Amino acid sequence: MRSILIGGKAGQGIAKTAELLGKALVKLGYHVFNYRDYPSLIRGGHNFNVVVFDKKPVYSHVERNYDILAALDDRTLDVHSHEISSTTLRITLKGHGGDIEIDPLLLRKHNIPFLSLNIIFLGAIACHLGIPFEVMKSVVSSLGEKNIQALKLGYNLTKEENRLKKSNKKLLFLTGNEAIGLGAIASGIDIYIAYPMTPATPVLHFLAARKNKYNYTVLQLENEIAVVNAALGASYAGANVMVGTSGGGFALMTEAISLQGMSEVPLVVYLAQRTGPSTGVPTYTAQSDLLFAIHAGHGEFPRVVLAPGDPAEAFRMTMTAFYLSNKFRVLSIILGDKHLGESHYTHTLDEFSPLVKPEKFITLETEDYKSYKITENGISPRSVPGAIPFAVRATSYEHDEEGITTEDPHMIEKMVEKRLRKWESLSVAVKNLEPVSVYGEGDKAIVSWGSTKGVIFDTLKRLEGWKFVKINILAPFPSEEVLKELDDAKRVVVIENSATGQLSKLLAMKTGLITDDKILRYDARPFTVDYIFRRLRG
Amino acid sequence: MRLDPKRLDTYAENTWCPGCGNFGILTAVKRAITELVEEGYDIKNFVTVTGIGCHAKIYDYLNLNGFYSIHGRVLPTAIGIKMANPELKVIGFAGDGDTYAEGISHFVHTCRYNPDITFLVHNNQVFALTTGQATPTSEKGYKGKSTPDGKWEEPLNPLVLALEAGATFVARGYAYDVPHLTYLIKEGIKHRGFAFIDIIQPCVTFHNITPYVKDRLYKLEEIGHDSTNFYEALRRAREWRYDLDPSAKIPIGIFYRTERKTFEEGYERDIPYYKVVRQIDWRKVLEEKLT
Repeated sequence: MRSILIGGKAGQGIAKTAELLGKALVKLGYHVFNYRDYPSLIRGGHNFNVVVFDKKPVYSHVERNYDILAALDDRTLDVHSHEISSTTLRITLKGHGGDIEIDPLLLRKHNIPFLSLNIIFLGAIACHLGIPFEVMKSVVSSLGEKNIQALKLGYNLTKEENRLKKSNKKLLFLTGNEAIGLGAIASGIDIYIAYPMTPATPVLHFLAARKNKYNYTVLQLENEIAVVNAALGASYAGANVMVGTSGGGFALMTEAISLQGMSEVPLVVYLAQRTGPSTGVPTYTAQSDLLFAIHAGHGEFPRVVLAPGDPAEAFRMTMTAFYLSNKFRVLSIILGDKHLGESHYTHTLDEFSPLVKPEKFITLETEDYKSYKITENGISPRSVPGAIPFAVRATSYEHDEEGITTEDPHMIEKMVEKRLRKWESLSVAVKNLEPVSVYGEGDKAIVSWGSTKGVIFDTLKRLEGWKFVKINILAPFPSEEVLKELDDAKRVVVIENSATGQLSKLLAMKTGLITDDKILRYDARPFTVDYIFRRLRG
Repeated sequence: MRLDPKRLDTYAENTWCPGCGNFGILTAVKRAITELVEEGYDIKNFVTVTGIGCHAKIYDYLNLNGFYSIHGRVLPTAIGIKMANPELKVIGFAGDGDTYAEGISHFVHTCRYNPDITFLVHNNQVFALTTGQATPTSEKGYKGKSTPDGKWEEPLNPLVLALEAGATFVARGYAYDVPHLTYLIKEGIKHRGFAFIDIIQPCVTFHNITPYVKDRLYKLEEIGHDSTNFYEALRRAREWRYDLDPSAKIPIGIFYRTERKTFEEGYERDIPYYKVVRQIDWRKVLEEKLT
């Protein structure tokens, strides 16, 4: 495994450089993980990426002993000086003490815009790593001729040590946010609605860029309240709808989340967590909205909460979210975070294979339609206004089968019970949708959810006697499946990117299992293998 | 229930106070829809959206498609419906508390967006269902349960706000003048764009200003008002400031009417999404990320 840290100011193209490098490596058949770290500003500050690659799958980054440190400014050298080793190759600007030094004047000499400085760095890194020029060039070519010249200048500054060999592996390189966008497209999304909020915004951009190709609508409305209510309106009228936001925006949406519960209008929400409370640390990661996602909204109503651990899961779970929302007329929350959303991962195509086939479950042929028909499984058939000769209703009030307001205790009870039965049928349905995944074998168990998957995978390679129980569906909670795995474990450790261990609380609530053994990280940074390994042994 | 233009009532018990102006609005809406169906509109395509408050009970009293939404959120809900299916004739009903307090941001932006929907505000200048508190359009001096010493701020003039925010159809009706209100609602539904009708609907229980209003009303149609003239519309809208000024005159009718691109047209939507069949191969979708 090798690692490269690329750092510089916001605006210097740090994230782009790392992504291009990652793409070239994946093209050669390597598995790449690309971690992105950036503060909340547009120009200046300190941005860095850590690119890790290996012949075997790798899902997490490191925080020290990089093979290469590429510093596009002095601050990168200062901040990361204690993280490098004697063997770290330093690539710096001219006169800054690097093993390879880059003279920015080269750009002026060759009449290349100064913005391409990062591409010279990319050339030097790629050449040193042994990435064939032609491969790197093919990745950079979409950026134009001047950047190919800059790349060449970088290659000329050093010599290849060992040329990397190309394998025949077909791999995908993408972020969690991109996977959620693609999952929505594969689900047949009709309308995506959002208000910008980090770290969910990339999904808005990603889907907006592809709206004409796939013929759907992307709307940015005046606030998250408008976003979610418009989504319910559109879904009521028969569209496949998703909204995306982070904790603060989701807080604004909760009034309408409860409206979803009563109206039973299908709704998919992508909730990308970031460090809270409140504005918190807006461009950094956390897993501290689990209980919020599970409990948001007044009153009692069923919902689905899915927690993907990597882009392949993000893609599949987005499809599951649409499917369950439409079939059960419920809320589905895809609970991601900044780490999953903005890091690049490497996958094979078959890892994306969906568990469901997209369907809207809309009934158009009906003898006598009732919007809230009382049924055995609690699911009232879904229809849409304008399509049938019957009134199609959605309502925030308690109602009878037609959707007419009621305050009659007998009818209220029947409707509450109808929604409870839907909860039951939903709990049965998710049993076939991989509610829990177990990796490795052992009498000790790590329990976790969401974006900690990758780093726990990488940690597992160094552990013996441990298995990893990953909870994929957090609502309805798969108590039976979880208990089966944890009941006779000698040690159970909960790992979570939060300060209080919300999964522990949920486990206690749903299974009665008390898990005091927790590894928590709450400095707004994701876990690394070293971090978990130290805490597990200490 | 089967949709039937001859049967626009439901079995729901009407719980408005006796003499409530909402009865006038309900009658006008039913007449407007009956006449529009006679003119060729499809009863299937009407959708009502309501907020929360006395006005919203109209959802229960109309045998039409409907979304009983939440307080203040009628407009985004209506926009969502229209975006999903531009063939639908969406009629939003809201109260003055709904629109000018809780939902004011949606109101301003909807005027700006210009979706092709009709929006009726049942403006009784009071929170009635919560038993009588001041709203943004209550007059200065209004004594409600939350303002025992009298409201001291100036009221909001929603017509002026709508005009400045870019609404393409701005009108005012009177709940007890059913034929005139029927005319306004029909014109509003026929208008291509955001049609906003503020309806003076005196609350018989908590804000009965009927005697003040009825003596001061006049119809813009009867004085040769030019509804294509924005500044003339603004001047007329400023004639009454939602107060109890004894010298004021209260114009009703269409203040302003213009055309511009609608919200849905801006997004090039013309097919209902429920009719769109998508055959998507998940492998193909992922191809762009294969290196």
